[in-house]
Formats: sequence, C-alpha cells, structure tokens
Amino acid sequence: MAPSRCVTDSMPPSTATPEVEENDFRPFFVLHKASSRRKDRTPTAQTKLCKTNELSSSPQSVKKLGGSITEECDLHLFQQLQIEAFDTVWAKIESTIKDVLRDLNASVFNNIQQWVLECFNTTKLLGQHTIAEATRSFPVLNNTTPGQLFTAFVVTRNIEFVDDILTFEELGHFLKSHGCHVAKLSSLEFSLKNGIAGCLKALLREFVGCVIDSADISILASWYREQVNYNKPLVLIINDLGRCSGSVLTDFILMLSEWIIKVPIIFIFGVATTVDTPRNILPSHALERLCPSSFMLGTPAERMDAVVEAVLVKHCSMFSIGHKVAVFLRNYFINQDGTITSFIRALKVACLLHFSMEPLSLINGRALAGDQKEGKFAVSPETLLKYIDELPLYARNQIADHHTKRSTAEGLSELVTTQKLWSTAVLCLYEAGKYRRVRLLDLFCEALSQDLYLSRGPDYHVGNERYCGLSSTSDPCQQYSIMQSGGYIGQIARNVRDLPAGMLYQLIENWEKLTADISEIHDKLKVLQSSVRCEDGKSPRKSSKDNPKKYASRISVNTDKDARMTNSQAIAFLDYLVGNFLKPIEGMPFHEILCFKNVEKLQLVLIGDPRRRIQVDLLEFHKILRCGCCSKNGNALLPSRHDSSIMYSLAQEHGDLINLHDWFQSFRTIVLQNKNKRKQNSKQSPQPKKRKAINGSVDQNEASIQARFCKAVTELQITGLVRMPSKRRPDFAQRIAFGL
Amino acid sequence: MDTNGSWDEDEDEEFEFSRNYFLAKELASSAKKSKQKLTDIDVVDEQELREAASRIQPKHEDEIALLLDSYKTMYPEWLLALRCGFGLLMYGFGSKKTLIEDFASTALTEYSVVVINGYLQSINLKQAMITLAEVLWDQIKTKRRVSHRELPKNQYNSQSMEELLTFLDQAEIDDVDFFVCVVIHNIDGPGLRDSETQQYLARLAACARIRIVATIDHVNAPLFWDKNMAHTQFNWCWYHVPTFAPYKVEGMFYPMILAHGSASQTVKTATIVLLSLTRMPISDLYSVCRERFLVSSQVTLNSHLTEFKDHELVKIKKHSDGQDCLHIPLTAEALQKVVLEIN
Repeated sequence: MAPSRCVTDSMPPSTATPEVEENDFRPFFVLHKASSRRKDRTPTAQTKLCKTNELSSSPQSVKKLGGSITEECDLHLFQQLQIEAFDTVWAKIESTIKDVLRDLNASVFNNIQQWVLECFNTTKLLGQHTIAEATRSFPVLNNTTPGQLFTAFVVTRNIEFVDDILTFEELGHFLKSHGCHVAKLSSLEFSLKNGIAGCLKALLREFVGCVIDSADISILASWYREQVNYNKPLVLIINDLGRCSGSVLTDFILMLSEWIIKVPIIFIFGVATTVDTPRNILPSHALERLCPSSFMLGTPAERMDAVVEAVLVKHCSMFSIGHKVAVFLRNYFINQDGTITSFIRALKVACLLHFSMEPLSLINGRALAGDQKEGKFAVSPETLLKYIDELPLYARNQIADHHTKRSTAEGLSELVTTQKLWSTAVLCLYEAGKYRRVRLLDLFCEALSQDLYLSRGPDYHVGNERYCGLSSTSDPCQQYSIMQSGGYIGQIARNVRDLPAGMLYQLIENWEKLTADISEIHDKLKVLQSSVRCEDGKSPRKSSKDNPKKYASRISVNTDKDARMTNSQAIAFLDYLVGNFLKPIEGMPFHEILCFKNVEKLQLVLIGDPRRRIQVDLLEFHKILRCGCCSKNGNALLPSRHDSSIMYSLAQEHGDLINLHDWFQSFRTIVLQNKNKRKQNSKQSPQPKKRKAINGSVDQNEASIQARFCKAVTELQITGLVRMPSKRRPDFAQRIAFGL
Repeated sequence: MDTNGSWDEDEDEEFEFSRNYFLAKELASSAKKSKQKLTDIDVVDEQELREAASRIQPKHEDEIALLLDSYKTMYPEWLLALRCGFGLLMYGFGSKKTLIEDFASTALTEYSVVVINGYLQSINLKQAMITLAEVLWDQIKTKRRVSHRELPKNQYNSQSMEELLTFLDQAEIDDVDFFVCVVIHNIDGPGLRDSETQQYLARLAACARIRIVATIDHVNAPLFWDKNMAHTQFNWCWYHVPTFAPYKVEGMFYPMILAHGSASQTVKTATIVLLSLTRMPISDLYSVCRERFLVSSQVTLNSHLTEFKDHELVKIKKHSDGQDCLHIPLTAEALQKVVLEIN
C-alpha cells in the first residue's frame, strides 16, 4: 500500500525498507520485543505519577507543557482502570456461573460417584491375583468369559458439545476429590491417526502423570499395583463418544477388558442426545464387553435459566443489560446457537464493550470491589461519591458536563436499590411461572421492556391503594390489569388464578423466602399471608412443616369461593409487584453506568459475517470509501471504481459459471468507457486535464487492462468468491456466493 | 417480543439465498452458454503482462489512506480487548497487513510481537512456537531479572508441541497483563489451512501468555472452527475493517489467469521459497568446512560450533525433516560489516 501525504508520517516508517520486504517472505519473524522500559502500570503507581505531575507544576506550566503529559497519563491510567473494572466484574460473574452450574450438577455427580464405588467393589470381587500373577506383563485370564467394563453413559441432552467440556472437567475434579484416579481423554485422541498406541500413551500420561514413550499397558498395571495407588477406582472419562473413531475405540475396549483384573478401569462416556450412540459407533463384540448404566444431565434451557437468574436477575455484579440486548441474546440462544457457552461469551463481550464505551462504568467495578470487601449489597451515595472522586480526570469530566457529582452518586445509589426491588419482583413472577413452565429468559426479556412497562398504563401507579381495597369486590380477579396484559406476565397471572390451593400455598411460602430481606414487598406479602391464615383458621407456619399434600386435602374442604378469594389476593400481590417495582432499568436516570444497551455494536463484535460483508464491501465500496468520483451515479459501474469491485459486480450478471472471455470483455468495456468518453468530451470540456487528474488514469494499453483483470481475479480468488477454471472447463470460473 | 419477527427474517433470508442460487443455475442453463474461449483473448506476451501488473496504478490512494487512518481511533478498543483476554479477528475486503502491523508497532510496544505470514505456502508451526517460547522466556527473564535460572537457548528445540503449549500456558505469573502477541496474517491462508494446524492454533490462542491478532480474507474462513475453537479457545472479537489495499504479497502465489506459460511463475515462486530458507543444515556445513580444510572431523566442527553457540554467534533450529539447521542471527548489513572488519 502506498501511503498518501496525509498519513505518511503516522504509518510505520519502516514499511518500505528491504528488511521488511524480506520479512514478508519469512514464515514467521519477531516484529519487536517488549519494550524494556515497560511502564509500571499499577494504578496506584500511575495515580502517584499523575499526582506528582499535577503538584510539581504550577497551573500555568501545566497549561503550557504538562497538559499533554497529564492527558496521556490519564488515558493510560484510564485503560488500566477499565481492565481492572472488567476483571473484577467478569471474575465475579464467571465464578457465580461456575457455582450455579456446579450446584445444578451436584446430584448427578453424587449418583455417579456412588455408582463408581459400587462398580469398584464388584470388580474387586472378580478375582484377587497372586504376586506372581500381578508382576507378569500379560493380563490375568481366570475364566473363560472376558471381563465386562463398567460404563456410564452420561447423557448431556445437548447437540452441541461445547457446553459439556466444563461439566466433564468438573466431574473429573469431583471424582478425584472423592478418592478416584481420574483420566480424561478427548475424542480427538481416539482418531485413526493416533491409533491405539496414541490412546494408550495418553492414558498413561493421564494416570501415571509423566510422558512415557512406550505404549505398554503393563506399565499402568504395575503403577496401579503400587501401594499408594492401589485400592482406588480407576475412572476414565471420554467426554464426547460421538466423535471417537469406532475402530480405535473398539480395540481399546477389547484390550482393556482383557486387563480388567489387573487394571479395573471404569468408563464414563459423554453422549449427546441418545444412548443409541454407542450402538452406532461400536460393533456388537465391543458392546458386549460393556456393562452400561446411564445418567442424565440438566437440559441447556434449565442451565440457561439458572445462569440468567444468578447473573442477570439477581445482579451478582451490578452489571446489567438493556432490553434489546436481552432479546438479541435470547434469539441468538434459541434460534441459532443453543449453547450456554456462546451465551456466556456474548455476555462477556457485552461486559467488555460496556467498560470500553462508557467511561463512568468504572464506578461499577470500583463499587463491586468495595462491595466484596464490605459484604453489602446496597451502596450509599457517600461511598459512590468517593468512587467518583477516585476516577481519572477523563471519566470525571463526563459527569461535570451534565450533572453534579453529588446528584450522580445519589441517583446511582437509588438505581441500585430500585434494581434490587426489580429483581425480587421478577423472581416472584418466575416462581409463579414455574407452574406453567415459563422460561426465566423469556420473562426476563419481558420485564426489561420499556414499551410493555408503559403500555401497562398509568393507573398502575396507584396500584397500592387499589390493593388495600380489594377484598370487597365481587369478581375479584378481573379487576387487575395484570390479568389483561399479554405476554408471559399475563399468562402467569392467569395461571395463578387457576392454581389449586395446595400449590398456591406452596407458592406463597416460596415468595416469603424470596422477599425475606425486602421490607417493601415483604410487608405486602404478610397481608396476603394473614388473609390466607384467616380463611384457613390455622397458622400457615405450623402447617408448613406438614406435607403439602396433606395440607391441600385439608384446604379443599373450604368452599370454592374462599379458594378463589385467595387466588385473587395472590394476583393482587403480583399486580402490586408489577405496578410498583417492575420498572425497567432503561427508564431510570443514570442507568447507562450499569446497563449495556448497544445491541448493534455487540452484534458486530460478537458475530462476524464475512460472507455477507465482504460481498457488500465489493458491491458498495464507494459507500465505505466515500470518494466523490464513484458515488455520483449511484450503483452504476464507473471505471473509477476499484477493479475487483467492477469485476464482482459484473460477475453478478452471470450464472454459477462465468465465461472468462465474456467477463474480460465486459471489464475491458467498462474500463475503456472513460477513455472513449474523454475523447468525446475533450472538445466540449474546458478542463480535460483536471478530469485526468481526478481519475489518476495511466496510459490504458492492452497489457495494463489484462494485468488489472488478472489481479482482480486473483483478489476475488483470495476472498473465495470465485473458484478458478477446472481442467474440464478451462474457459469458466465458478461463482461461489449467490446473494448476500 | 419480536421472536416471530426474527424467525420470519431468518426464513426470508434463507429463501432469498436459495432463490438466488437456483436463479443463477437457471441462468446458466437457459441462456445460451457462451462458447467463447479464453484463448480468443489476444493475450500479450507474458513478460509484458507481468511488467504491466507490477506497474498497476492503485486507485483511490488518498481515500484508502484516510480509511486506514480512521481505524487508528479503534486502536485503544482493540488493545483493551486484547488485554482483557480476547483475540482480534479482522476481516473485510483488502489487504490488512499494513493495518495490523501498524497497530502492533504503535499500540503493542509494551508486548513482544511475533508475526506469522499465513499467506505463505508452508509454515512450520512448531518452529514458530519455539520462537514464541524463546520470546516469552526473554520477557520472563526481563521481568524477574534472574540470570541464575537461565537455560540454554536451544532447550525448546527438543520439546514436543504439548510441552511448548504447557510452557506458553504457564499461569505462575500473577500479572494477567503479561503476554506475547501473535499477529497472524491470513489465518485462513494456504499454509495454515489444514485442520490439525487450526487445532494447534486454537490451543495456542487459549494459552494464558498468548494473545492473537489475526486476519481472514476468505468468506468461508469461519468454517474452520467448531464452537469450542471459535468461542472458548480463539475467543474472537470480530472487527470489520475493509481497507481496499491491494493484496500485494498475499496474491503473489496465485497464478495469473491470463498467463499460460508457467515457467517464469515457478522461477519466481522458487526464488521466494529460497529466500525464506536462510538456514544451513549441519551436514552441508561440515562438507564445506572439510573441503576448505577448516576442520577434519565432525567433532572439531562441533566444538567450534559450541563456542559460537555460547556466544550467540549462531543459532540452531531443528528443521522439519529432523536435521539441525544453523543460522546466524544477524542482518545482512551487519554481516557485511563483520566480514569487512575481519579482513
């Protein structure tokens, strides 16, 4: 690329030196080493440095020379703070997600561990071998039937495997902590290229812990014989059975089944959706060596709800997302990807972009770090004010422009409190929605919608008074606008109306737990509880220890009308929650500090779309370059356009095969168009020279046109949009992409 | 909720795509298939064609320069993404070589940067990993200022890929902001295209002490990566940065469609291949030295070489065929000076 006047000095000066050109043909080279005067980038050191700068120079001199230094220093410090804020917030989110997923898997993991113990005890009964047998380098075969390998098929219920990598890692750690020897092999190890020897080596590496060149299972047998290793189950986890090579795995299983007495390995296989997978991969003589059991993991949707609850609804980190971002993530999960991994990644990118684009977001990181130290949830305006004062100048300036620091701190503190109320309201709705299998992710999106919030009407805000006067109405349910509202919230309310008494009571109990530390909501719930108590005539606290079924049968004695009354009161409670606390964050002042809303940017950074966008680059290149010469006639093919752009536009007129001759001729016509026109115009136009300068054209001889054609074809070939002529069709290039 | 809307949109898009495909097919079969031959074009002499190709006047130089300059405002954002543990993937039409090398030279001065030219025909990834390990080791040494634990430079040659990856992943350093940056021009290039290499690259990208800045040009490049590679290992942040700069080096290995004779092409590619081979196998050196009566046995040669190695006058790298190759880590100019001064 030839740098032009305006950027020549900003581009690296070395671009044209022969050394760099030589580098172009090296497979790899060191561009530069880390500069030795690497700055001390700890923020405290930076702050000190900046402060010294500010103190040592008088105001005038700061203006004169210190300005740029301070600014640079400030920006440097700013990025350091951005990274710290991101690290703090993301570390919190990540650990929360890990805990949530671990809790979800806990019961399955326990079952698997129990099963491993049972299997191990059974294999021990198979046969005790003598020292002489044990030290031989061949297997013990003490009866005619070959040994069976205990095998657990862990059904991940997920087509995409990527989510389960972490699950199996956790399972490995879990079993290790319960006294098993654990080896984890990936399906890549069971490839034809690796062969059985590769698998064995990997197995030895995992169990014995060092690199052993010979693939000999007797090494494993003698290792297992050692006092410290003996008497513990040997577990081998292969996390994606579906991707293993059948023949290699078959050999592996047959071999291990012969060694079962010396090396009693227990298999754990991850299978995607059905337990049929082994039948598709393994032949019957390998299958009969397996003694299978199966275990089920949670579905991706269940995991997703748990993650959303912990991270986005309960706000483990104060970081939150706007409605559009939430809907985008939801659609991305449901329609395209379906994996938690990419959802989490999307959240991580959103978090990065938030700290990258919103200077004041740094308060978020600071507050979280402080919060962790003090172990509090609510943040007082004073604390926030302190954080704001600690921000670098660059970020502080953002506040000075619009608001005073004080009002920002107060607004932010209020925002955090309101968010807590919002999340409690969502959780109460979700609790009620569980009876209708409403997904939290859906409810979450709806609860964030500013439009839906406004459409619920202004009369909602007097819900409080209405709540007090409800008991006298004859048709209790229909008076609440929550019943009329559409979407998931309306569904939930309608479902609560029809909920049987036992379930309703259970629901109220659960609500009590959720609202325990929120006095605003808890008080209202108490009213509801007391009315239930009045109808029932007994203390619900006492009966809560009873079996809910028993309680249900008792309550069913009550009249139908009474029961409906309770339901309507429960709806009134929900109505109160929705009306008073379900305010989407985007409607609140200062929400930008905590809430990421830029869905377009997220989409761009998260999902590249090279197939479409590279084509758009070519077809609408003048819109990107914004040059005067090519955008004059809209999309008309002007000779001034980039050669590859002309060629690709021309290719659109062809079918899936492009006749090279025709393509060349049309290219030639377009390129020469200008020259011919110029000849015609030269008599009329007063400034032919100027036109020539604009187009920067050189003598358009035949060789040059042919060379340009060749170059454009090569460029299209690099982008993969055109495939070269084959021997069978030497005169045609092939189009690869059709439509954007 | 606009779920339905998005579904419809997706279906529409899919329909549009298939419709376009069949229309194109139909166009090919129904319209009179052009019988014109490529040979009907009066192609100029190949020498002339190549000369003309080297003299092609670039279009819109000013606008392209402005466009490249406008990306400079993105540098802080890119740096932040890298420092937060993401990889950068640049795409869009035009060569992005100058752009990302400029980014590396201006914004990444505090980190060592190794460039891999993926557009070349063959790349020995292991050699690149060894270099990365050496660079990282140097960086660690500078950080810790320890010399007593210094190991001989060529220790990495004998290590396996697994060991190298483990070294690059070492998490014992507390500073998360401590990494070597790998710039890969055309991670979708011919030299890196096979799935094994891509798996290794993904594992490299997942190493704690490595960050990757890569470019792609091929529209289908994302198909190389499964979800684990793309989402967890590479962890890409995508940036659309069309430059419209000519694919000068990247396009060098593609045959010119109108050039029929392939003689000069092979000469050119051969020169390039030879240019990139600057090392000398030990066996060749021995035969040359014996011919000139400098040494009489391999043992004497080795003792001389050990001396040179200790003083870092030569470096030894393992060639892909297993032979040790020697090279002098000095630039051509420096070497000329040395020769002059000795004489």
